[in-house]
Amino acid sequence: MEKLLNMSEPIIQEKSELVKLQSAGELRKTMDGYFSRLREAAETGVRKVAWCTSVGPAELLYSMGFEVYFPENHGAMLGAGKNADKYIPSAVAHGYSPEICSYLTSDIGAFLQNETPLQKSGFKSVPKPDVLVYNTNQCREVADWFGFYARHFNVPILGIHTPLCIPELTPEIIKTVADQYRNIIPSLEQVAGRKFDMDLFRQAVALSHDGCVLWKEILGKAKHRPSPINFFDSAIHMGPIVVMRGTQYAVDYYKVLLAELDQRIQDGISAVPHEKHRIYWEGMPLWYKLSSMAKLFSKFNTSIVASTYCNSWVFDDLDPADPFESSALAYCKLFIVRSDAVKEDILQQLMIDFSVDGIIYHESKTCTRNSNNLFGLQNRLFKKTRLPFIEINGDLNDPRCFSEEQSIIAIETFIHQLSGR
Amino acid sequence: MYRLGIDLGSSYTKGVLVDENNRITGFHCVKSGYNFTNASSKIISHFAEDHEIEYPVYTCGYGREQVAAAFVSNSELIALSKAVYEIYKRPCSIIDIGGQDTKFISMNAQGQVDKFKMNRKCAAGTGSFLEEIAFRLDVTPEEFTEFARQATEEVKINSFCTVFAISEIIGMIKNGATLPNIIIGIYNSIIQRSVEMSVVEGHLVITGGLPAKHPTIVSLFAKKYPDSSSPEHSQFLAAYGCVLLNRTSYIVHRTL
Repeated sequence: MEKLLNMSEPIIQEKSELVKLQSAGELRKTMDGYFSRLREAAETGVRKVAWCTSVGPAELLYSMGFEVYFPENHGAMLGAGKNADKYIPSAVAHGYSPEICSYLTSDIGAFLQNETPLQKSGFKSVPKPDVLVYNTNQCREVADWFGFYARHFNVPILGIHTPLCIPELTPEIIKTVADQYRNIIPSLEQVAGRKFDMDLFRQAVALSHDGCVLWKEILGKAKHRPSPINFFDSAIHMGPIVVMRGTQYAVDYYKVLLAELDQRIQDGISAVPHEKHRIYWEGMPLWYKLSSMAKLFSKFNTSIVASTYCNSWVFDDLDPADPFESSALAYCKLFIVRSDAVKEDILQQLMIDFSVDGIIYHESKTCTRNSNNLFGLQNRLFKKTRLPFIEINGDLNDPRCFSEEQSIIAIETFIHQLSGR
Repeated sequence: MYRLGIDLGSSYTKGVLVDENNRITGFHCVKSGYNFTNASSKIISHFAEDHEIEYPVYTCGYGREQVAAAFVSNSELIALSKAVYEIYKRPCSIIDIGGQDTKFISMNAQGQVDKFKMNRKCAAGTGSFLEEIAFRLDVTPEEFTEFARQATEEVKINSFCTVFAISEIIGMIKNGATLPNIIIGIYNSIIQRSVEMSVVEGHLVITGGLPAKHPTIVSLFAKKYPDSSSPEHSQFLAAYGCVLLNRTSYIVHRTL
C-alpha cells in the first residue's frame, strides 16, 4: 500500500515519469545515416575519413569531402553503454593513467580489445583514419589521444593549438587561431586529394551556423516553465550538432525537434511531469547513469533545465562571409576555454535566463577542465546569485569514481533544501 | 503511544523512542550488518517489548527504505539539522562523523540547511577509517581514549588513504614514535579532513558515532574551535530529527 502524507505539496513522486520526445525516431534515423556514410567511406574508400575532436574544425573537414569521425562521441557511447570500466584497465596497462580523461582511456582500451559498439551497426572496427585533426581548445588530452592513433595507423596528425583561460578575445588571439586553420589546409589537401574550395567552406560554415542557431533555440525552449526538454534529453539529442555540424543533416533534424518542442509548449507537455524545481547542471554528464539520474530527478519533480555541457555546442558567431576569422572566434569563445571571470558572468546570466533554483556541480574525476568547482567558482557565484548548490563527485565515463548512494542522499537533501526556501 | 526514529547508517542502526512531548525516552543501537531490514526489526522489537509504538516509524540513512514496517523516510542531513536546531535554536555549523560519511552542514537561524557537503568518494577520516586502524593496531576505542591521554606531542599522519595511513603508522612505530602520540595524530587527521570541507561559522556542533565513541576528538575540536560542543548521545540525533521533522514535512509514506 502506498499513499502520500500531506498530499498538498509532495516533494517526492512515488513513480518517476519521463515523457519521451517523439523526435527520438528521427534522431535515430539521422544518426544511422551518419554512421552508414562513415562505414561506406571506411569500407570502400570512396571518401577519405578524418577524425576530429568534438569542437574541432568539422566545417573545414566536411567542406573538403571527408567523412568525419569523432572519438569523443565514441567515448560517450562506451560510457552510455556502461562498458567503459571494462576497457579502461587495458589503456591503464599500456601506460595511460586512470586519472586522465576516461573518454580517452575507455576509447583506447576498447581499441586495444578490438571492440566497439559500432560493431552492432556493421562496422568491423572503428573507421580507419586518413588524417587526425584536433583543437586543444577543450583540453590537451585530445592531442595525446589522437597521437596514439596517429602512431598506430601511421597517418598525419594536425593540430590547432588554442590559448587557454581566455579573458578577452583579442584580435591577436583570433588571428593566431585563424592562421592555424589556414595552415593545416595544404596537408588536408594532400590527404583529401583535392583542392580546398572557399565556396564549399563558406557553405559548411553557413550550415554549421544554422544548425547551432537551431540548437540554441532548442535549448532556449527550456526557459519556458514548465520546461518541454531537460538535460537528459539534450545530452542525447545533441548528437547531430556534435558529429554533423556543418551539414544539412543536422539542420534538418533540429527543425523537427524544434517543432516538437513548440508543440509541447502549446500542449502544456513538460519533460518532467510535475516540474517544481529548476536546476542547472555544471559539468559532464554521468553517461553510465543518464537514465537512472533522469528518473531520480523526475521523482523529485525537478527538471534540469540547462547545462554547461549542452550549451557548449552553440557556435552562432560562425559567419560564411568571414569563415576563417569567425571560426576562430566561435571556437575560442567556447565556455571551456574561457577564464573563470568570463565563465562566472556567463553562468550568472544563464541562471537568470532559465529561472534556475539551484546548481549541481559534477566534479568529474578525470575531466578537470569540465569541472568548474575546482577553483572556488562555486562560492563566488553563490555570493553573486545566492543560489544554493551541491557538488557531486563522479566521472563522465568511469563508474568506479561515482558513489551512487552517497550522491542520491546529497541530491535528495538538496531538493529538500530547495523545497524549504 | 510512542514514536520511533531509526537512522539506518552504513555501520550502525540507531533508534530513539520519543514520547508525546517530543522527549527522548530510550536509545538503542545495533550493527547494521548486511541486512538493514533485520537491523531495523531489532530496533523495533527492542522498543515494542515495553512500549506501544505508533506507526509509521520515521527513518533516515542509507537503509532508510529497507524497513519491515510502515515508515516515513527522510534525508539524514535534514533530520540531523532539525534535531540540532531543537537543541540549540540558533545558526550553527554541524560536523557529523559517521561510519563512512563525514557531513558538514551550515544551518541558518531558522534551522534550515543553507549549505552542506559530504566527504568525497574516499572514506578516510570517517568511522571506518578509525575502525580499520584500530583493528590493525589491535586497540579498542576505549584504549584509544586512554592512550590519547598519555600523548606528549602530536605525530602528523599525511596519507589520505586508510591502507597507506596504516603503512605510514607502522613506519612511524618502527622509527620510534609512541602509540599515544600517533593516536593524537590520527584524531587530528580526522578533524583536519572534516574542517577542510567548508568554513566553520558560528557555533560548531560535533555529532555522530565517531565523536560519541571517541570523546577525545570533541576535546581536540574544542582546542581548535572554542565555540563548539557535542550533545550527549549525538549519534542518535538524526534518528530523533526524523521524528521531529515528520510532524511538518511532506513525505512519502510506504508500507512494505
